[in-house]
Amino acid sequence: MHNHSTAVAPPPPHPLDSNLKMNRNIMGMLLFIGSESMFFLLLILAYVNFHNQYGTGSMAAWHLDVFKTGMFSIALFSSSFTLWLAEKAHAKNSGMAIVWMLVTIGLGAVFIAGQALEYTELIKENLTISRDLFGTTFFTLTGFHGFHVIVGLILLCVALWVMARGKEHEITEAGLTCVSLYWHFVDVVWVAVFSVVYLWRFVQ
Amino acid sequence: MTDSALHPHSHKPVNWLRDVPEYQGILSWLTSIDHKQLGILYILSAFAFLVVGAFLGLLIRIQLMFPMNHVISQEAYNQVFTVHGTTMVFFVGMPLLFGFAVYLTPLMIGARDMAFPRLNSFGYWVYVFGAIMMFFSFLAGGAPAAGWFAYPPLSEKGYLFNSGQNYWALSLFVTGIGSVATGVNLVVTILTMRAPGMTLKRVPLFVWMILMDAFLVIFSLPALNAALVMILFDRILNTHFFDATVGGSPLLWQHFFWFFGHPEVYILILPGWGAISEIIPVFSRKLLFGAGVMAASTVAITFLSFGVWVHHMFATGLGFAPLYIFAVTSLLIAVPTGIKVWSWLATMWGGKLKFTTAMLHSMAFLIQFTIGGLSGVMFAVIPLDWQLTDSYFVVAHFHYVLVGGMLFSLIAGVYYWYPKATGRMMSETLGKWQFWLMTVGFNGTFFVLHILGILGMPRRVYTYPLGMPGWAELNFFSSCCSFILVFSILLFVYNLIWSFYHGQIAGPNPWNAWTLEWLCESPPIAENFERVPVVRSRRPLWDLQFGSGGDGENYHA
Amino acid sequence: MDLKNADFTSIFNVATAQNKLLVDLHWFTLGICLVIAFVVTGLMVAIIAKFRTPENDDGSEPKQIHGNTRLEIIWTAIPMLIVTVLGVLTAVTMIMVNPAVGTKKPDVIVVGHQWWWEYQYPKYGVTTANELYLPVGENALFEIRAADVVHSFWVVAFGQKMDAIPGHPTNMFVHPTKTGLFLGTCSEYCGAQHGLMRIIAHVVSKPEFDDWIKQQAALPQQSTDPAAVKGKELFNSATCVQCHRIAGDAEATARIGPDLTHIATRGTLGAGVLENTTDNLAKWMQNPQQFKPGCNMPNMRLTNEEAHDIAVYLENLK
Ligand code: HEA
Ligand code: HEA
Ligand code: HEC
Ligand code: CUA
Ligand SMILES: [Cu+2]
Repeated sequence: MHNHSTAVAPPPPHPLDSNLKMNRNIMGMLLFIGSESMFFLLLILAYVNFHNQYGTGSMAAWHLDVFKTGMFSIALFSSSFTLWLAEKAHAKNSGMAIVWMLVTIGLGAVFIAGQALEYTELIKENLTISRDLFGTTFFTLTGFHGFHVIVGLILLCVALWVMARGKEHEITEAGLTCVSLYWHFVDVVWVAVFSVVYLWRFVQ
Repeated sequence: MTDSALHPHSHKPVNWLRDVPEYQGILSWLTSIDHKQLGILYILSAFAFLVVGAFLGLLIRIQLMFPMNHVISQEAYNQVFTVHGTTMVFFVGMPLLFGFAVYLTPLMIGARDMAFPRLNSFGYWVYVFGAIMMFFSFLAGGAPAAGWFAYPPLSEKGYLFNSGQNYWALSLFVTGIGSVATGVNLVVTILTMRAPGMTLKRVPLFVWMILMDAFLVIFSLPALNAALVMILFDRILNTHFFDATVGGSPLLWQHFFWFFGHPEVYILILPGWGAISEIIPVFSRKLLFGAGVMAASTVAITFLSFGVWVHHMFATGLGFAPLYIFAVTSLLIAVPTGIKVWSWLATMWGGKLKFTTAMLHSMAFLIQFTIGGLSGVMFAVIPLDWQLTDSYFVVAHFHYVLVGGMLFSLIAGVYYWYPKATGRMMSETLGKWQFWLMTVGFNGTFFVLHILGILGMPRRVYTYPLGMPGWAELNFFSSCCSFILVFSILLFVYNLIWSFYHGQIAGPNPWNAWTLEWLCESPPIAENFERVPVVRSRRPLWDLQFGSGGDGENYHA
Repeated sequence: MDLKNADFTSIFNVATAQNKLLVDLHWFTLGICLVIAFVVTGLMVAIIAKFRTPENDDGSEPKQIHGNTRLEIIWTAIPMLIVTVLGVLTAVTMIMVNPAVGTKKPDVIVVGHQWWWEYQYPKYGVTTANELYLPVGENALFEIRAADVVHSFWVVAFGQKMDAIPGHPTNMFVHPTKTGLFLGTCSEYCGAQHGLMRIIAHVVSKPEFDDWIKQQAALPQQSTDPAAVKGKELFNSATCVQCHRIAGDAEATARIGPDLTHIATRGTLGAGVLENTTDNLAKWMQNPQQFKPGCNMPNMRLTNEEAHDIAVYLENLK
């Protein structure tokens, strides 16, 4: 097995170099996020497609507790902010970075807990993924988002762990940026999902 | 291998793939993260599946050879064409794309490897795993049988209850993820690893088309994955996405699938176009005509191809406006594609043509692709599609663009780059034989299918009644020719193997070509370039030879 | 009835007013495409003839040309023009072939089943299967539905085909301009017997149609032939009635299989796989899978004379 560290390294800066100067991992993460956005866009469209016909919308009105989920959502939204603080702290390598990371992870966990709670309640009302089109589209959409949140949490934990291991093998700026980009993305997706699934019905 | 540049052996030129010190032993291949090895693996795997797919294609032709024929049962037939289509598109077309892209891109832009070598091997192995998963369904109680676009409700478990359809969906989902990974890898490589002086205006057309192709992959495959998730949930978790009885929508699947499906067909053809754009100039000894416009038209096609998907649904009665918009976009796409055809012709015009096997395939490609494209335009005229959709005319169309287009151009690519990859030339004698057999076989097999469509033969029929005018004769003729076709492939495979051992040593630049990959040894050393070259034009090697004029300025014969 | 002497099966066989429009547009488009194909091929031939490297070549490189704006404009503009023309014609033809349906009620409702066709004439309260009758010279509005999976209704000489999609009824107009027997096949893949899901359309004169529809609307006459009487009992006692309907028979009301009310008036069985004779009928009900493998009618384990009696009964349902 070859060690390709040199192979990956960018060519030495040259007067004629015309490459994008952006960090490769960040660029890769952005493209990946672009792809993921398509995926969620279509899941959301699937939900919207059934919203008015077949009373999916009214179903949502009937079963969903906007206020409670709203609270948990705020946890998620604010976690984006705390992550941003963590990054800034890390930039001027202050110890606060670790603290903010912990807070971020905490908030993310709260959101997931909230979702788990919501699911169990719905299922108690025997509203399951296989009951009707509302169940089908609702659980598929929010479920996939939840899954992405969990992945995000894992990434955050890894980042945190690397940070915690201290100065000599420090997490790279780029590495941290990638994780936070992903987390912000998961967050933005929830803005869209929340407005479509929970808030839309107020429009009618 | 960090210090390979210092290793003595990487200085004395190695002129045969088997002698490359880094590539000794199976393990060096299975564990490789070297873009050249992975590229070769991709293409070899594509071959393996191509042989399977071709065999299935042949089976189709044998079953359809006579009316009311019963070589295989209707269930078997439905599985055969489903697996044939799926294999050819996902396990032959895609890996060929990635194989050529991953092998050539770094060489052509003067990089030492892909941006993410490990991600690169991840992509390959995920593809292998996915492909195997689909073929595993044969053991696990029945292959998928809903056709390669698996329209529900037929693909729901109420109608196809064996697990084959689940394997089909899972397998495509997995390979889809790998494809996106490799797509990302390619974009980053092209945007950040070009040699000094190689501006995006100067990258070889092949690289440019791969760049567009990668964008197509990144943004269209998620649509397929979303659709696959839904059908899987319908089948496994009893959801109702496509179940009309409780308000689900079969049309939703059609929209989602084709939103992926149409970009997919350009994903398949773009590497072919790229190969042609490299081969035709070299064997016409001329600069590619209107390279800038070529690149621009590729961008146009990339964007347009996201806006034509409903042309696969013209017979679904969606109403005037929703259909007509997509007729317009589908017609428009003919214009940039046309620009390519004309530019390739103009490149040959006034050149000094060398009719190598690679060149012959490229020229056949040009005509066959045009025919396929034109039948595509006929579909874009909706009223004609109302007559022709789901008839054998469609089968003729897409085999002209896929076999006569994609495969002919990629075979040309194989003849052209084989010396670079293996260090040895392919046999031109065998090549010429294979070319003529394949051209005759291909056109014989698929041209008559146009007529069958016009005579009202629907596609995907396991047999057809006696006494339909012309059906028996035309099908018989097509089937006979398909034997020639498949024989030509075997000849091709034989040529690949024979030349590997007996082909003459190629040397770095056997075709006297102009792009960077021909600057490396054949096969290239483990890190491609001793020194990363500096690029001043579209044709760096021309500049090396004549000092200047790579972009066609101030050169007089 | 022998399907072999059906009218020529080709999209260029103009059997309806709609197909006339389609065919005209088709010839025009085909013409353009052929011209383009010839231009490209012609250029290729010319190139091969003129520009092969001469034997006594000095190895010098030919003149290098990086482009030619005038040419490029031309070969963008001309195709642009062509597709514009095609685009306009497309719109015109679409509107003429499929005008807005508005509040019109369908004359024929076509329902695709795996793997046979149900035809309803709502205006006459008639339901039949597998053989469509239309009066010549009248523009009929079709509504096309699917009972299970996606099918597609295509009588080749009628030109247009239209998908039958569950939960998404579609419409098309059919205005037959000549009488005769016209064939087609289901043209959206729909499972095991997609291939033999044939379509049989009789276009007849108005009076003939009126006779036919009157007969279909009436209750089938009951034969007093002892075999037929016995057959009727068998039919009702055997499981036939779980799937088939026969108007006037209180027990036979199921609609899973084709309506058999006037089965005797059909020329074929199983959507054209068998000629409709007493013997074939008996064979069919004893083992449909032999003639239409995978179809949804099971083998009805009947002895020969049971089958024969039922066949006689059915063959009297006129
Ligand atoms: C490599 C793959 C490939 C390519 C490149 C194309 C190219 C095109 N295809 Fe095709 N297509 C398929 C693969 C491909 N297709 C497949 C696999 C299917 C079937 C899927 C299935 O149902 O299983 C399909 C089906 C398909 C349909 C649906 C048919 C149906 O099911 O009813 C339509 C409808 O519009 C269509 C249109 C087109 C058009 C307009 C182009 C255009 O891009 C063609 C443009 C090229 C030219 C026009 C020729 C060169 C141009 C000139 C010489 C300039 C002058 C020309 C004019 C002015 C017209 N294709
Ligand atoms: C790339 C795509 C591809 C290729 C190569 C082929 C190859 C062949 N196909 Fe087809 N085919 C499809 C894609 C393809 N097909 C699809 C998508 C469908 C629709 C399925 C569905 O309806 O669901 C279909 C359906 C289909 C049908 C219609 C079935 C039906 O509707 O009932 C038929 C019938 O004749 C057929 C026949 C054949 C035959 C005889 C070949 C032969 O040509 C096989 C011989 C092989 C070749 C000609 C390849 C030559 C390649 C080489 C020599 C090596 C090249 C390698 C490198 C460049 C590395 N195919
Ligand atoms: C489980 C359901 C089922 C049962 C029971 C059944 N049939 Fe059928 N029958 C069908 C279906 C479905 C078809 C259509 C087959 C096809 O063409 O694909 C059919 C077709 C037929 C046809 C041909 C109709 C036509 O229009 O061509 C006849 C006649 C027929 N059945 C008679 C019988 C008789 C007699 C019995 C009892 C002895 C019987 N069927 C029992 C489902 C059934
Ligand atoms: Cu019904 Cu195909
Ligand atoms: Cu398409």
